[in-house]
Amino acid sequence: MRGYILRRVGQNILTYFFFLTMVYVMIDAQPGDYSNIYLGDPRLTPDQREILRARLGLDKPVTERYVLWLKSFAQGDFGVSFSNYPRQVIDIIIERAPRTLVLFLTATVVAFYMGFLSGKVLAWSRGGFTEYATTIGGVSLYTVFTPWFGLMMIWFFAYTLGWFPIGKFIDPIVWQDSPLSAVVLFQRMLLTGVVSTIALFAWLLVVQRMEPSRRRVASWAGVIVVLAGILAYWLPSGVGKYAADILWHLILPIATLALISFAGTMLLTRNSMLETLREDYIMAARAKGLTEKAIRDKHAARNAMLPVVTSFVFSLAFALDGGVITETIFSWPGMGLTLLRAAVSEDIPMAIGALVFTGALALTAHLAADILYAFLDPRIRYA
Amino acid sequence: MAQSTRIGGAPRVDRAEVLAIPVWRIRLNLMWRGLRANAALFAENPIGLVGLGIILFFALMALAHPILMSTVWDKGTYDPVLGIDLAIPLHPTAPSATHLLGTDPLGRDILSQLMWSARSEFALGVVAALVTVVIATTVGAISAFYGGLLDTAFMRLADLIIMTPFVTILIVLSALFDVKLIELAFVVGITSGFGGAAIIIKSQALTIKVRTYIEAARVAGGSNSHIILRHIIPNLLPLSFLYMMFTVTTAIFSEAVLSFFGLLNIRMSWGLMIHTTEYTGYLLDLGKWWLIFPASLSITMLCAAFYLVGRALDEIVNPRLRRR
Amino acid sequence: MAETLLRVENLTMHYTTRAGEVSAVDDVSFTLDKGASMGLVGESGCGKTSIAATILKLLPENAEIKSGHVFLDGTDLAPMSESEIRHVRWRRISMVFQAAMNSLNPVYKVGDQIVEALETHLPQLTAQETRARVEDLFRLVGLDPKLAEQYPHEYSGGMRQRAVIAMALACHPDLIIADEPTTALDVIVQDSLLREMTELQKQLGMAMIYISHDIAVIAEVSDRIGVMYAGKLVEFGATEEIFHHPIHPYTQGLLSSFPSIIGPKRELVTLAGEPPDLINPPSGCRFHPRCTYATDVCTEKVPVYEEHRAGHFAACWHPLE
Repeated sequence: MRGYILRRVGQNILTYFFFLTMVYVMIDAQPGDYSNIYLGDPRLTPDQREILRARLGLDKPVTERYVLWLKSFAQGDFGVSFSNYPRQVIDIIIERAPRTLVLFLTATVVAFYMGFLSGKVLAWSRGGFTEYATTIGGVSLYTVFTPWFGLMMIWFFAYTLGWFPIGKFIDPIVWQDSPLSAVVLFQRMLLTGVVSTIALFAWLLVVQRMEPSRRRVASWAGVIVVLAGILAYWLPSGVGKYAADILWHLILPIATLALISFAGTMLLTRNSMLETLREDYIMAARAKGLTEKAIRDKHAARNAMLPVVTSFVFSLAFALDGGVITETIFSWPGMGLTLLRAAVSEDIPMAIGALVFTGALALTAHLAADILYAFLDPRIRYA
Repeated sequence: MAQSTRIGGAPRVDRAEVLAIPVWRIRLNLMWRGLRANAALFAENPIGLVGLGIILFFALMALAHPILMSTVWDKGTYDPVLGIDLAIPLHPTAPSATHLLGTDPLGRDILSQLMWSARSEFALGVVAALVTVVIATTVGAISAFYGGLLDTAFMRLADLIIMTPFVTILIVLSALFDVKLIELAFVVGITSGFGGAAIIIKSQALTIKVRTYIEAARVAGGSNSHIILRHIIPNLLPLSFLYMMFTVTTAIFSEAVLSFFGLLNIRMSWGLMIHTTEYTGYLLDLGKWWLIFPASLSITMLCAAFYLVGRALDEIVNPRLRRR
Repeated sequence: MAETLLRVENLTMHYTTRAGEVSAVDDVSFTLDKGASMGLVGESGCGKTSIAATILKLLPENAEIKSGHVFLDGTDLAPMSESEIRHVRWRRISMVFQAAMNSLNPVYKVGDQIVEALETHLPQLTAQETRARVEDLFRLVGLDPKLAEQYPHEYSGGMRQRAVIAMALACHPDLIIADEPTTALDVIVQDSLLREMTELQKQLGMAMIYISHDIAVIAEVSDRIGVMYAGKLVEFGATEEIFHHPIHPYTQGLLSSFPSIIGPKRELVTLAGEPPDLINPPSGCRFHPRCTYATDVCTEKVPVYEEHRAGHFAACWHPLE
C-alpha cells in the first residue's frame, strides 16, 4: 500500500510539472506580452519600449524565461496582482485558498454521499416511473446551466424565502464590533474542522477493533463527543456569532454546488448496483442465508462503490468548474471568484496564480481519490 | 446401433446465385440492416427519443430563422444583433404580439436572438464533435495498435486532460487570447479528443485487435495501415459516435458559460443574452423573466438532449447495459 | 436402516420470460438418505441446476414453484417464506456453485467470508471459537490456515475451489449440493479434488447431491444417479444398475456417447438433434423427437414415472429391458 501511494505521489509531481509547463506555454503564446500593459502609453518611443522589455526580461530566449519562471514559482513568487495592486499574488492566494478548500471539500463530500445513498435506494426500487423520473431529474441537474441554477437558488431560498443571505462572505453590519478579522476567524474555523475530522477518523479506526455488538454505540458516542467539543470551544469564546454568520453564508453555495454534482454519482451508483447484484458472489451470499440488508450493504455496496469512486475522480474537475461559477454567482470570495475576476480584468499574474492553485487542488483531490480507491479495492494495492 | 434422426436443418442456398451479387451491394445491405436494427433498439428507449426530439426542435428553430427573416420579419427590427424596435420607447418589454418573447434591454427581439443562436450552437457542436471523433479514433487506434511509448504518452496526456477543470482553463485562456467561436470549437474538440474518449476507444481497439479476423487479415498479407483503416477503425466508429454526443454537450455548456461571463468574442449566443441581462443590471429582476428563462432553458435543454441521446446510444453500443 | 433426509415430490418450477413460460423443472421426484450421495446428470439446460436452486429457493424474481414438495427431515421447504428458509440455508443445506471461484467476494478476505457464515448461523460461538473453526476447515480441505488472511485474487483456481468447499462445510450441514464444482479446473486437480470430496463426505457423514453433465465423474462419486432431460427426471437408480442395465433410451445414449479407452474400436454413437424448447416442450414424452424407439403413444401421453426394478425408477413407454 505504501509503495502504491509513493508511486502515485511521484507520478502526480511529474504531472504537475508538465501542467506548469503547459501553463507557461500558454502565457508565452499570447499575442504580445506583459510589456503591452505599459505600451498603452503612446508617449513611449520604440527605443524606450526595448529598454522596458529588457528590464522585464522579455528579450531573453524562451528557455531561459521558462527556467526563471519555474524558479520564482518554486519560491512562491507569482508577481504582483494588476487589479489588486500592490498586493502580491501569493498573499491573495493564501488568504482565499482556504475558503475554496472548505467549499469544494464540503460540497464534494456531501454530493458523494447524497449520490451514493440515493443511487442505492434507486437500484433497490425498480419501478418504471421512478426510474425514468429520477433519470430525467438527475440529468437535468447535471446539465443545467450552472449560473442559472445558482440564480434560481438565490432567488428561491434567499430572496423569496429569506432563509439565507443573497451572497457574499459575511454580513458587514454584524461584524462591526468583531474583535477578529474575518480571515483570522475563518482560519480558526478551518482548524476546528480539521482537528475534529481527524479526531473522528481516529476514533472510528479504534471502533473497528471493538466487538461487533458495541460498535454502533461507540461510533455514535464518538460523534457526540466531537460535536460537544466543538460547541464547548466556540460557544463561550465570544466570537461564536461571527462564526455562525460565516456558516450561514456558506450553506447556500455548498448546497448549490452539491446539487449540481451529485446526479452523476447517483445515476452511476444505480447502474453499478444493478450490475453488481448480478454477480455470482451475491447469489452465494444469498445461499449462505444472509439477510437482504446484509447482502445489499455489505456485499453489493462495497463492490458497487468501486466504479463509482473511479468516475467520482473524473467528476472532480467538473466540481471545480462548478465551484468557480458558484463562487461568482454568490460573490463568495474564494479562488474561483478571484480567477474569474482576474480573467475578466486581464490581471494575468493573478489569473495564472489562481490557475496554478486550481491545478494543484485538482491533482491533490485526484490523488486522494486514488488512494481511497486503493483502500477499497484490495486487488489494486498489490498491482 | 442407434440411428440418428435428422431434425430440421438450414434451408439450402444456391451458391451460384449468391456469388453473382456484387460485394458492395452485400455490404450495403448488411449496413442497412444493422442500422435498422439499431434504430429499433434506440426507439425502445424513451430517454433517447426525448433527447432526439429536443434536438430536432432546436434544429427546426435554427432552420426557421432565415426563413422568418426573409419573409415575415423586418430586418431592421428583428435582427438578433443590430435590430431595434423603435416603435416602443422603453426596453426591455414584456412578451407581446409583435415580440413573442419580448425584447432585451437593447431593444432586440428575444425570440429572434434565440433562434439565430441555435444555429451557432449547432455549428459549434458539429465542428467540435467532428474534431473529437477524428482525434479520439486516431489516437485510440494508434495507441492500441502500436503500444509502447506512444501509448504511454497518449494515456498520460489523457489522464492530465481528465483531471483538469476545463472551464477554468478556458477562462484563463480567454484572458490571454481573443477567443472566437471557431477557436472554441477546436479547443473543445481537441481536448475532448485527447481526453477520456481516447482512453475508452483505445480499450475497445485493444479488444478488436486480438480478434481472429485481424489475424486472418494479417495472414492474408494486410499491411498495418490497411488493418487499422479497414478493420479496426470501422469497428470503433460506433463508440466514437457515442462520445461525439458528450463532446457537443461540453461544447455548448462551455460556450454558454464563457459568453455569460463576457469572455467570448461572439456576436450573439444564448450565454451572451444572459450576459447582456447581467451588465444592464436586470439579472436579479425576475419579474422580467423573458430576459433569462428562454436562454437558460435552451442551454439546459440542448445540453441535456445531447447527453440523453448519448446515454441511449451507450445502451446500444455497450451491450452489457442492454436490457432484455 | 438408512433414514430419508430429503424427499422431493412432484416438484414443478416455472419461470416467466418475455417469450413465454419456461417449464424448467417438471414433476420431479426422488429421495436421498442421510449420508448418501447421489448424482444428477444431463445436458446443459436440462434443469439440473434449476432443481438445486429450487430446493434452496434461490430463485430469481420471475420464477416460482408451481407445485410439489421438498421434504427435509419431514418439513416441507417449498411453501416457506424468505425469513424461514434463511435458517435452512447453509445450516442444513449448503451449496458449492458452478465456477465457484466467483462465489467469493473479491473485496473481503477469504477467512472473513467463512466467519460471516459462522456468525450468521452459529452466533453462540465466541470470536476465538470461530477463528479456530476456520482454521480447522482450512486444514480439512488441504489449505494452509494462514491463507485465511488473504484475498481471493491471491489464490489459484484450485485453492479457491477448496476454500469454497471449506465454506460450504462451515456449519456442518446435513446436505451439500455441488453444482459442477470441478468443471473449470484441469483434470489433475479435478481428480484429486473429487477424491477428497468423497472422503470428506464419508468422514463427516453428510449427504451430497453432485450435479454434472459428465456421467463418468458422477459415477465416481455417487451411489445413486438421476438422469434428467428437458426438465424431467427420466431415470433414477443405483450407479451400477444405471450403467449396466439402463432403462431409458436417453440414458443409453448418454452412456454410449463417450469414448472408452478399453475394448475394441467402435464408431462413436451420438444423439442427433438438440434439447427441446422448454417454452413449448414436445407433447407426451419430451424425448420422443430424438428417440429411435418412439411410437405414437410417446407423442401423445406423458410416460409415468414408476419403479421398474427394485429401487430403479424410469419414465418411458418402451423401457429397455
